[in-house]
Amino acid sequence: MERKKGSENKIVSTICNSHCGGACVLKVHVKNGVIRRIETDNNDEPQFRACSRGRAYRQRVYAPDRLLYPLKRVGERGSDQFERVTWDQALDTVADELKRVKEHYGPASILHFCSLGDGHALHSAAAINRLLCMFGGYTSTWGFISYEGGAFSAAATYGTSRGSAHTGDDFLNSRLILMWGWDPATTIHRCNTPWYLAQARESGAKIYCIDPRYTDSAAVLAHQWIPIRPGTDTAMMVAMAYVMIHEGLYDQKFLDRYTLGFDKFRKYVMGCLDGIVKTPRWAEPITGAPAEVIYKLAKQYATTKPAALVAGIAPGRTAYGEQYHRAAITLSAMTGNIGVHGGSAADRSWGGESWGGDLAAFMGLGTKGRLPSPKNLVWENAGVRWNALKGRSANANSAAWVNSSMLADAILKGKAGGYPADYKLLWLANTNYLNQACQVDKTVRAFKALEFLVVQEQFMTPTAKFADIVLPVCTFMERNDFSSGGTTPFFGLVKKVIEPIGESRSHLWICEKLAPRLGIAKYSDKTEEGWLQSIVDDFAEYFHIPNYSELKKKGIYKVQLDEPYVGFREQIKNPQNNPFPTPSGKIEIFSQQISEMGNPLLPPIPQYIQTWESVNDPLAGTYPLQLITTHFRRRAHSQFDNLPWLRELQPQSISINKLDAEPRGIGHGDVVRVFNDRGEVMIPARVTERIMPGVVDIPQGAWFQPNENGADIGGCANVLTKNLISPAGAFCSNTCLVQVEKA
Amino acid sequence: MQIGFYFDQTRCTGCFTCVVACKDYHNIPAGPISWRSVIEIERGEFPNVFVAYLSKSCWHCALPSCIPACPVDAIIKRKEDGVVVVDQESCLGKESCGNCLKACPYDAPQFGIELNAKMQKCNLCIDRLAEGKKPICVDACPMRALDVGPVDELIIKYGGVIEAEGFIYSVALAPSVVFNPKFNPQIAR
Repeated sequence: MERKKGSENKIVSTICNSHCGGACVLKVHVKNGVIRRIETDNNDEPQFRACSRGRAYRQRVYAPDRLLYPLKRVGERGSDQFERVTWDQALDTVADELKRVKEHYGPASILHFCSLGDGHALHSAAAINRLLCMFGGYTSTWGFISYEGGAFSAAATYGTSRGSAHTGDDFLNSRLILMWGWDPATTIHRCNTPWYLAQARESGAKIYCIDPRYTDSAAVLAHQWIPIRPGTDTAMMVAMAYVMIHEGLYDQKFLDRYTLGFDKFRKYVMGCLDGIVKTPRWAEPITGAPAEVIYKLAKQYATTKPAALVAGIAPGRTAYGEQYHRAAITLSAMTGNIGVHGGSAADRSWGGESWGGDLAAFMGLGTKGRLPSPKNLVWENAGVRWNALKGRSANANSAAWVNSSMLADAILKGKAGGYPADYKLLWLANTNYLNQACQVDKTVRAFKALEFLVVQEQFMTPTAKFADIVLPVCTFMERNDFSSGGTTPFFGLVKKVIEPIGESRSHLWICEKLAPRLGIAKYSDKTEEGWLQSIVDDFAEYFHIPNYSELKKKGIYKVQLDEPYVGFREQIKNPQNNPFPTPSGKIEIFSQQISEMGNPLLPPIPQYIQTWESVNDPLAGTYPLQLITTHFRRRAHSQFDNLPWLRELQPQSISINKLDAEPRGIGHGDVVRVFNDRGEVMIPARVTERIMPGVVDIPQGAWFQPNENGADIGGCANVLTKNLISPAGAFCSNTCLVQVEKA
Repeated sequence: MQIGFYFDQTRCTGCFTCVVACKDYHNIPAGPISWRSVIEIERGEFPNVFVAYLSKSCWHCALPSCIPACPVDAIIKRKEDGVVVVDQESCLGKESCGNCLKACPYDAPQFGIELNAKMQKCNLCIDRLAEGKKPICVDACPMRALDVGPVDELIIKYGGVIEAEGFIYSVALAPSVVFNPKFNPQIAR
């Protein structure tokens, strides 16, 4: 903490880590306890510069719509009618409901989900997990909404995704980069990623973008844009594998030494299993990409080394998205690009751990850097899920859990629908779940069916409107925490800059106050700083970084690596001593584990499977356009949507190609109806050549705002998406058919 | 000496960080005033699309047209660095005058929504320059696409290209900027 010109002025160095995909340094200028402005890292290189969202954070802290005190519902659920209550009243109510539901229905009836939000090591899912586990357990969730397809595939194919990601500066060693469904200019995917990619391009690397949209990343970084229909990425990858096999362009030595089951995949590609040879000509009508383009791309990729295939996690958020991630890993293995500088494990673009761990560790999913917790008794007594994998934790594999995408389904169906319990109480934190899960109308029905819903929030989101009790939480500027930069290696303390606004309080404070009300004596024997110190010191020892007291002095610790970190380097360098943690010790292109699951829609080798709601679905006669729900510059999911500085930058709109707009009489800026059987959104049209014909895009995260007819006028994409998961558990928000009409 | 901008159009991803950093630093509310803005240029037809961004503000012209347009000499070009600044006390206001806005081909003069709002615009963060720092937009850019310095030094460092997509160089005004422009020769301009 630097002090400047008198004691009332200070500049606090902290880390913005707001579920945007990045983690960046903020320098917060404070005078008399009020944030005056926010600057970023302009110190030693590499600088970790924040984006527009971090720079606008002052408006978030002092937003006029910040929740300043606890609220209790007084009207019908969802009617947005609340009255102010004291913290004692709010906490008593929450505790009483937790006890009542536990006694009446058992602990499994308590369902809890905490997403990332602005949570870090301490004030996150781990704080609530500790409380609820001490209370006797609860139903937790499995499946990452962002990238379950990728997580499953890494666990099946590599046995793990720990240590799979390269540090961003390794792009400077790549000669060719495939940005597959990946727009890091928007999603950041770790601070400086687009900057490293720009430098790679300037040093001569060839960059291709495979995406239904001409993204900002494509526009700035790519030499060539290859438009592709949503949900067909696996088909293009399989056709690329065909080209490599047919032309003898794959690395047989690498496959022999490090992989299992390539022959089975080759048989599939060459048509030995189903009589269909998966040529580029086969993929052309599926993907919408000309066969010649696929052929050339395959050849370029196979003959330019090293090459990094970066499998964005968006194509994994489709039906059978796990096949796409498994196919990407297979291509990277066929080209021998795993474990080498400038290459890529190709498992997924974000969330794979690199040097020093990643955010997953802070969500209570890793082993280091979190609040400790006793075992969850609800899990203890359950078996494993049918699609559990050896490479994942027992907790993640538990049959007792509900997929995080399917909470509404579980609440509505319960035991009668095959779920392990009936769910009566839902506790949500760091999530605008109603807005962000597929099929809003179903979530509305589910929320109305609950006996009790408690929401921890900073703002009156569409989700909070349905709560029985809203607990106001503070932003990361108002508490102390710890964060890492992930694949951009740095660590630092997230420092409390100002006192909490209004009566808002931290996650830890809320859990500490609930504990005695739930009869838990020893929830916390440490102060906030005491917990932080123990978490950081535990983490520091493991990762050889400065301990808490050193970090407190330094604020931000930039790791100086001798060379860029390479994922799975040891496994490739010395496979005898470092086998992959799969059953065979190899990269499993064929997975016996998956084979034993016995689901034809989850094949043991990567295969293209036509999605539901594809262009070939009979439903396409009524709803002919494929909707994708992408990330937006000025939001991090649904966060930041309410900040005026950001709202004015870009209107929420639906992107539609002129070829689809003109026959519908739609001009740029016209308000259109976007609809299917699940709902309707009224939204302005952005007529652009930057999206392929047949595909429309509503950036996800705009807040659901139904009008008197039930149509959403807020631009919430999930009004339209379908609440259904892929066999491996992937969230399928990019598999959705709609029609668009001029309003 | 004339201070000016360098903008690397090949790097700009249109992320608006410069815009928001400027608003935060200069305490400008959401609304019509934006000392810095980013425009998107889209051309061509699917799948041959060309996209570029231009981050723009007052270009602190060597021969600014706003200065002779101002009837009360409220706009001043600083001798020491050529930065064009406004004396808001003397400014007559948008409705009473607004001559600077009409004179500037780059839409640099900015006005609030109130009646007879006084002109304001980019001042190149002269307070930061005095402290030896770069303007806030330069220090904000995650792609390191912006720079500021004496124009003759910028020309040596980055070359003397004075045109870019979305920008037309006015010989009469001599805006203080050099570019690394983004051009796509395949698509007719």
